[in-house]
Amino acid sequence: MLKIRDLHVSYGNIAALRGISLDVGKSEIVAVIGPNGAGKSTLLLAIAGVVRARAGSVEFDGRAITGQQPEALVTTGLSLVPEGRHIFGSLSVAENLRLGATVRRDRQEVARDIDRVLAMFPILRERYRQRANKLSGGEQQMLAIGRAMLARPRLLLLDEPSLGLAPLIVAQIYEAVRALRDQGVTALIVEQNVGRALSAADRTYVLSSGVIAMSGKSAEFAGNAAFDAAYFGVAEAAR
Amino acid sequence: MIVLQNLIDAVSLGAVYALAALGIGLIFSVMRLINFAHGELIMVGGFTLYTLAGQPLLVMILAALLTSTVLALGMERVAFRTLRKASPATLLISSFAVSYLIQHIVLLAFGSRAMGVAFLPELGTAIDLGGLRIPLLQLVTIAVTLVLMAGLVAFFRLSETGLQMRAAAEDFTMARLVGVKANRVIAFAFAISGVLASIVSFYLVAQTGSVSYKMGVSMVLIAFVSSVIGGMGSIAGAALGGFLVGIVSVSLQAYLPVDLRPYRDAFVFLLFVLFLFWRPDGLLASRADRDRV
Repeated sequence: MLKIRDLHVSYGNIAALRGISLDVGKSEIVAVIGPNGAGKSTLLLAIAGVVRARAGSVEFDGRAITGQQPEALVTTGLSLVPEGRHIFGSLSVAENLRLGATVRRDRQEVARDIDRVLAMFPILRERYRQRANKLSGGEQQMLAIGRAMLARPRLLLLDEPSLGLAPLIVAQIYEAVRALRDQGVTALIVEQNVGRALSAADRTYVLSSGVIAMSGKSAEFAGNAAFDAAYFGVAEAAR
Repeated sequence: MIVLQNLIDAVSLGAVYALAALGIGLIFSVMRLINFAHGELIMVGGFTLYTLAGQPLLVMILAALLTSTVLALGMERVAFRTLRKASPATLLISSFAVSYLIQHIVLLAFGSRAMGVAFLPELGTAIDLGGLRIPLLQLVTIAVTLVLMAGLVAFFRLSETGLQMRAAAEDFTMARLVGVKANRVIAFAFAISGVLASIVSFYLVAQTGSVSYKMGVSMVLIAFVSSVIGGMGSIAGAALGGFLVGIVSVSLQAYLPVDLRPYRDAFVFLLFVLFLFWRPDGLLASRADRDRV
């Protein structure tokens, strides 16, 4: 579904991604883990069209999407939930959700989808008319995911969905991701929470200093010496 | 009685400043551009009235609205769209360039002297209201401003495009990530600023009865100051700032010693500098200036 080949991204003279190749299959949950500054967020921002690739290609459903604008990519079925959530704090929960459906014209279906999101995250129903900056971090993350869902994406890009949240909330959010997968939504998740990522994802890539250090089935990672070396080794080296 | 008279003066001048400030603030909120060429949108509206003087009133008004709006969309397309990723400083400089370019084209075409236009001279008369003599122009200005602001509030609250513009004003990159079309919301903001500019030109031409190629310059400066006082990036703040500057200007006019009154605007700007020490981010500072995605 998503095919990335030899992707290079630089900020000025600083190379953030140095030749990433990565695949995500339909209905898969794939995690990208790695230490701070490894380029995980940059990878998602490059896929979503926010930052420009210097070289390499991104294909989504067999079509090259490299260099397209973010607003065009949403219409192809790709939604990013960025790090820090970036909900519209001065707008209400209802307005945030409505904005999620910006690319759609089927109003009645949108209303039904909003109901589905509220059923998935009941706390948002209670806060429906409140300004979004009054929500707690966990509620904001739920809103950000719900907002992304309203575009009816086939591929969901999640950047650090567990960052700064209580374990109970994190469990709830990963529950939602699994439920979405059962509905046929594919997910590419960037995580610092290694345990969470490995238990949720079918396959995992370890990113370090802008290159893929290791990849494979998540189940084979736990207790794997090569993984420990790849992940913790680079984490040590990065210090 | 004199207080009430001054109050009406203040509110009507504040209303004009608020409309001008909204034009500046709206563009800043969606693209971090302080558009000093906004004054030329006002000026071009005035010159359209001058060129069409003698035509039916409705023709003059519609033509001026159209000219300012088309010019606003034109400057966005030609000068600012290509620079959208540039720094705010670059955008600011290019808005000065656009401003001077338009001023000097008009200077070449019409000359440097102010020229008289009879536009709504009926509004120059004053009406009696319970012992007060109130110029009709002030009442019309207040009424038009209230209608326009109610319309803008309804637009931002109720329409899809208005919602998208509020989202874009708060977090432009995130708005694009949910599918808000960058070109569309920015063009919309420029179109609205063009309409607002031409309405300010109606006031200026009706009040002074003349047009000149520099007629937008002092208004845009006041509008800029107003939007800074309100809080750059906050649309409501721009309107609030405009009203405040109008009220302060009229108060100074009324209560400064007579021989200092010609320097009223100097005092306005002095107070503005002092205000900035107290609230450098303005009254309704916007959260939108934090880092983007």
